[in-house]
Amino acid sequence: MNKVTQWWTEERRAYLLLVLPAVAVYWAVMAFPAVFSFVLSLTNYNGGVIFNNPNIRLVGFTHYLRMFNDRFFWISLKNNLLIMAVSVFGQIPLGFLFAYVIHRKLVKFGDFFQTIIYLPCVISTIVVGRLWQSFFSPYGPFTKFMQTLSPGWENELFIDPQLAILPVLFVILWMYTGTYMIIFLANLQKIDPALIEAARIDGATEWQVLIRIMLPALSGVIVTACILAISGSLKSFDLLYAMTAGNPARRTSVLALYMYDTAFRHSPNYPLANAISVFMVLVSFLLIVMVKLTEMKFGGREE
Amino acid sequence: MLKKSMFVLLAFLLVSGVFVPAALAEEPIKITVLNYFDLTSPGAEREINEVWYEFSVRNPHIIVEREDLFLEAFHQKTEAYAAADRLPDVIYMWPGGRSTSLHTLGLVKDLRPLLGDDAKYYQEAVLAPQAAGYLAELPQTMTSSHALYVNLALLDSLGLSMPETYEDLVAIVPVLKENGLDTILMGAQDDWVIQSCLFSMIVGRLVGDEKLNQILAGEAKFTDPEFVGALEFYAQMYEDGVLHRKIMNTNYAEVNGLFATGRAPFMIDGDWKVSNFLTDPTTGEALIPVERQDEFMMTIFPAIPGEITKASSSGVVGVGFGMNAKIEAGSAKEAAAWELIKWLQGPEVQKLRLETAGTIPSRVDVTSDQLEPLVIERIRYYEDILTTTEVLDNIFEGDVYTPINIGLQEIGLGFATPMEVAERTQEAFDAWFARQ
Repeated sequence: MNKVTQWWTEERRAYLLLVLPAVAVYWAVMAFPAVFSFVLSLTNYNGGVIFNNPNIRLVGFTHYLRMFNDRFFWISLKNNLLIMAVSVFGQIPLGFLFAYVIHRKLVKFGDFFQTIIYLPCVISTIVVGRLWQSFFSPYGPFTKFMQTLSPGWENELFIDPQLAILPVLFVILWMYTGTYMIIFLANLQKIDPALIEAARIDGATEWQVLIRIMLPALSGVIVTACILAISGSLKSFDLLYAMTAGNPARRTSVLALYMYDTAFRHSPNYPLANAISVFMVLVSFLLIVMVKLTEMKFGGREE
Repeated sequence: MLKKSMFVLLAFLLVSGVFVPAALAEEPIKITVLNYFDLTSPGAEREINEVWYEFSVRNPHIIVEREDLFLEAFHQKTEAYAAADRLPDVIYMWPGGRSTSLHTLGLVKDLRPLLGDDAKYYQEAVLAPQAAGYLAELPQTMTSSHALYVNLALLDSLGLSMPETYEDLVAIVPVLKENGLDTILMGAQDDWVIQSCLFSMIVGRLVGDEKLNQILAGEAKFTDPEFVGALEFYAQMYEDGVLHRKIMNTNYAEVNGLFATGRAPFMIDGDWKVSNFLTDPTTGEALIPVERQDEFMMTIFPAIPGEITKASSSGVVGVGFGMNAKIEAGSAKEAAAWELIKWLQGPEVQKLRLETAGTIPSRVDVTSDQLEPLVIERIRYYEDILTTTEVLDNIFEGDVYTPINIGLQEIGLGFATPMEVAERTQEAFDAWFARQ
């Protein structure tokens, strides 16, 4: 009894009071659906009532095997990795570059460029997708422009399997770079200007300021940006859906679209769709762990 | 005595005034509806006012809670409702295809017993059993999933005439190319379009329904020469320049404007596409204005070499509304839901759809004198069809037709051969057949 009283302190009660609501909400909207999705992926559930349904039984990892044997799974995964590469190695460096240039006032009209670069982020993704789909259409402005340069040019961008994803990657780069620019810009403003000023007085070049002061100071932010980019890349759906719907012949599909097709189009297969979503969560988790390990090894010098 | 009489009279008035109307008034019944509705289509405003609002006026005791969705959003919501076992009371559905699971899982009622003697108002063909062998939805129309739209004025301006055979069609390809035009437009970015609007017709012509039914029964195979031959003919269309693979990068809606502005003399789509060219009553504008509509015609694909079915098109009975199977038989809710379904396929509504969308009525008692030339053309177009054959996604399950849908795009892009697509389809069919 005494032990219980000692454990049940006011501080602990306050701690639980503050933490439990967040834990409950997290469990309800994040953890439980993820666990439930995993359980469903091991069953033969085929719609209808889930609880007390006598026809539902466990079938093991059958759906995972089917997923790994499906060529469209690998096409989708490859496209996801390409999007991830563009996000991590395209959006983040470009976002940082733009933020740096604007923050250091290396160009005039910084506010104007900041607005222009960030603007795509505030437009509906569906609108952006349809707009760029029309732009890259075989009958669209891009084709017309290329035909003025090279008469008879045929727009094969979305048709060649090697090139079909390129317009999508370009739009992803165009659309989301502004988000990272804003993140970096906000954090660059937190760096003490006196530090940069002192470095400049000591003879540091702009490049040395960037490498020796700015980047180390932002290593934590870069990791956060990488996590956002990776998780965002894996759940890419709306833009692709609006631009290509995963076609032609599913060559521009990604895991989320592949999951959507499996769950909601033609003949729904919910366990397989859940297996795909579980795989997406695991890949996302694995990649984020890798980013954190990289940061522990090379970063963490912002203090 | 007077006092007593007055008391009785007052008591009677009180009772009749308070209780009788309450007893006579019908209890409000709420009906939820999932409706497939393109709010941007010509005639959308008329539909809201003259269909849904008018029903509420005529049936004040039925409260309709309607959810309007269109294209993929609609199908996604339908599947989500079905998966969650929370289907609305009344739902827009297809006789098969994307609605197959509603039929086969028995999520909607057989409407035939409710229809009763009213069946006499409908064309016999539209009341045929649907995907699961019963009347799951009351069709509002007959639908031909294949139609060849022709820009006659454009053909005339080039000195060309309407091709009667496939060879005639191939012969005019160079002329069109010289003039910077495409031959046939299709908005085939979505993979169902080629299968539904073109390949099903080719299968009907070269394979025939009898063979298809043998495949369905497991007595023949997709890898048999007839089906592979149909795929080979489809592949040949690209080699002959009749089709261009950029159709797979053309959005389904984008093709409307391209055809209306003369980007090619031909377009292949379903007969429903005609509604996109009609006048929008709210703006008075049309992609093809009434005065130009005579320059266009609808027909079927020219004769294909080796065809066993002449002058055929692929088609199904059309879409309509079904009723949630969970609604108790004989209940007031069932009566209210049926009242709504009857109204939605009633003469007033079908007349409206005929005028605004050119939808061929499924009823025998509907006509109108306010039809645009293209609607009249759509009615005439049915005279060109000698035989209506199956649409593949209407007779096969999604597991089976999905490899065909994707395979048709792959053939067009040169990623797969006809035999490879046939083998993949047969493999998918065998897996499906084994589960039955």
